[in-house]
Amino acid sequence: MKKLLATLFNGLFWDKIRLFTSKYSYLISFLGLLAVATIINPMYFSYINLSTLLLQASIKGIITLGMSLLIIAGMIDLSVGSIVALVAGLGVVVLNSTGNVFLTLLFCVVFGSFLGSINGLLVTKGKIAPFIVTLATMSAYRSIIVQLGQGGPFDIRSDIIPSFRLIAAGNVLGIPNLALIFAIITVIVAIIMARTKFGRYVYAVGSNEQAARLTGINVDGIKILCFVITGLLCGVSAFLLMSRLTSITAPNAGSAFELDAIAGVAIGGIAMTGGRGVIAGSFLGALMVQMIEGILIAARIPPFLNGLVKGIIIIFTVFLQRKKNTN
Amino acid sequence: MILEMKGITKIFGIAKAVDDVTFTVGEAEIHGLLGENGAGKSTLMNILGGALQPNAGEIFIDGEWISEMTIHKSNALGIRFIHQELNLINDLTVFENLFLGQEISTPFGLLDRKQMIARSREVLARIKLDIDPLAMVDSLEPSRKQLVEIAKALLFESRLLIMDEPTTALTNKEVNILFDIMRSLKGHGLSIIFISHKMPELFAICDKYTVLRDGKFIETGFFKEITEQRATNLLVGRSIVDSALMKEDVRGDVVLRVEGLTCKRHFENISFDLRQGEVLAITGLHGDGRGELAEALFGARHVDAGTVTLRGQRLQLHDIRQVMKAGVGMVPRNRKERSIIKDLNILNNLSIAYFITKHNHFFIRRAEEIERFQRNQKVTNIRVTDPEDYITSLSGGNQQKIIVSRWLELDSDIYILDNPTQGIDVGAKFEIYKLINELAARGKSLIIFSSEFPEIYKIADRCLVMYEGHINAELDRDHLTEINIMLYATGSTKEEIGEKVTRDSI
Repeated sequence: MKKLLATLFNGLFWDKIRLFTSKYSYLISFLGLLAVATIINPMYFSYINLSTLLLQASIKGIITLGMSLLIIAGMIDLSVGSIVALVAGLGVVVLNSTGNVFLTLLFCVVFGSFLGSINGLLVTKGKIAPFIVTLATMSAYRSIIVQLGQGGPFDIRSDIIPSFRLIAAGNVLGIPNLALIFAIITVIVAIIMARTKFGRYVYAVGSNEQAARLTGINVDGIKILCFVITGLLCGVSAFLLMSRLTSITAPNAGSAFELDAIAGVAIGGIAMTGGRGVIAGSFLGALMVQMIEGILIAARIPPFLNGLVKGIIIIFTVFLQRKKNTN
Repeated sequence: MILEMKGITKIFGIAKAVDDVTFTVGEAEIHGLLGENGAGKSTLMNILGGALQPNAGEIFIDGEWISEMTIHKSNALGIRFIHQELNLINDLTVFENLFLGQEISTPFGLLDRKQMIARSREVLARIKLDIDPLAMVDSLEPSRKQLVEIAKALLFESRLLIMDEPTTALTNKEVNILFDIMRSLKGHGLSIIFISHKMPELFAICDKYTVLRDGKFIETGFFKEITEQRATNLLVGRSIVDSALMKEDVRGDVVLRVEGLTCKRHFENISFDLRQGEVLAITGLHGDGRGELAEALFGARHVDAGTVTLRGQRLQLHDIRQVMKAGVGMVPRNRKERSIIKDLNILNNLSIAYFITKHNHFFIRRAEEIERFQRNQKVTNIRVTDPEDYITSLSGGNQQKIIVSRWLELDSDIYILDNPTQGIDVGAKFEIYKLINELAARGKSLIIFSSEFPEIYKIADRCLVMYEGHINAELDRDHLTEINIMLYATGSTKEEIGEKVTRDSI
């Protein structure tokens, strides 16, 4: 007993706790949020609920993963929602004219990467800040798809719908496909970021660009690749969105995805200044954004206030990050 | 002002940055604060300035107990902190910078430019600086900026100045001006705390000294009662053999040939050879184009003309990776800005250059990285508790050893070291010199860019002196003297001096 008390009052012990909490801040906020959700709805912590959560979070969550790469590298992408809309709209056209699911997936992935690469080239070769570039492409990409659809929706041919919607609606051994796809992509991205040279370079570029360049890292290449990967993930996300909705409304599809993705990254404990954070964090961050929506509904807060709550959360988490860094 | 700090302790996390330190400065006294990097000098001064709150200890000013020091209180007491980094805003004029945050207003609430300009003139004249208060700070030389920073501290009533390595960016002439200013301030009753790594400066200007080591108070006393050797021993805590390292003649083949290298506005028509096993120093004064030359040799800066050939192969100077793969490694100057990747841990900071040219696998294996770290730890004598801590948890010297190890891992033929001992303590400096010699003995060739003569003398086989973007002189060991370097670095030519100035004739 004495020994236990001694360890408790030992400064070292608390320092270790503090170190742990700052390293796994995303885990603590996740557990905290789960506790809040369970208090509001005692049935919340169930398999069904959690797998539904994963399912609901998946489409935006995949984009959150790309966004984390960009933010770790010290950049940002506001155009993700518009990329999703443009890829999904044209994806419907490709699917309707070919009837081939694999060709459609290939189109989505390649076209998404292409749109991402435009962002990347403008940022690196054009030397324009990512915020400005993607603000411009956000508006440009959206405008193209709205014009192509003449303001109306892109509907998938009715004979294709029954089989095509199974991609998003189906499940494997009771696990929803969407949840499974999200989980698999998370693991792949997490491994890339933690265990490959490319991952190290992304962190290095976000932490100290000049030092990264002077150790021989191809800084422009890494930045472009981050945008391409984000574009690619937007393509995957667009494909899944097509299957889920079977109809893409050009002005609305993917709108405010950038907000949810950035919020997920922020709550996931990734430093908004770049250089620090882990993919497991942004995975849980994406879930948390979804959970907050659920909690707001359960707590009977009008859904119109969703944006307000997310805005507050972004500011609040970044504020906490700053406090942590200055201490 | 009489300052007494008693039993000051400051804990960061688990480390005691300052441990029960007592520090006293008397009226009209210039007090040298000595310590290696990480000894606790900055922490102690930040506590005095009110930027940090101590965990224990008391501060007395003129015998009066100060209950809780804040930045505001310390300002009001007339304590002025002149930081090592420049805190000036380039896009404002000199007088705007001087009055930044403490502007004088007219009764209508508008800025009183006239009065601010007049007072700026006054203070600049007082310290004999011929700078126009209306000049843009951007247009000033870095050394002049440092002097403006000092003027800023004197603008308002001040009683105690803290100068944190104020001479780093200054030329010798300006150091003398600064010392004159300090003496005159002392004559007016001001007390000054002077932090510096340079022994001759400390002995020239300071009355008393206090030595800190590993956060602890070691000794205080009068400079006139000790020698430089004794001060160094106090600082390091162990006696280091500071004799010149043995140099042997280099007779290796030419490995690197630089021909007509030109980078407009920075340097022109630079040509020299480098032999196997040779340590070539390149030195000069501020604005000599040396830093740009170092970057150009590594492919980090666009060159307008000229070639660099390594063992007959022309280097692709537009691509750093090609230069690295060809066998050139470089430790850049300004560790904090150009080398350290602050968010990566020690292991990753060490491995990052290796990944670029040598690592051929898709995945990174942790075991390999640990093994690489341990191998280098033995070579460069890195003192680390946990290699998975952030690199910023290390002292400057140990950080630099990690950076040197980063490049040793490439096993390059040529190493370019740009100011490799900048801001590191005496012990670590010596270890780096030893390493340079070992590398040369193993047949590596090194180009060291440095501005410190004692350093050049310890390690160089040959020295090039630059002046305004060209090589003004080449000195072999026999002609390698501080006076020769100063003569050529300030623009004298061989014809003017003649070849007479050898080591023996001085």
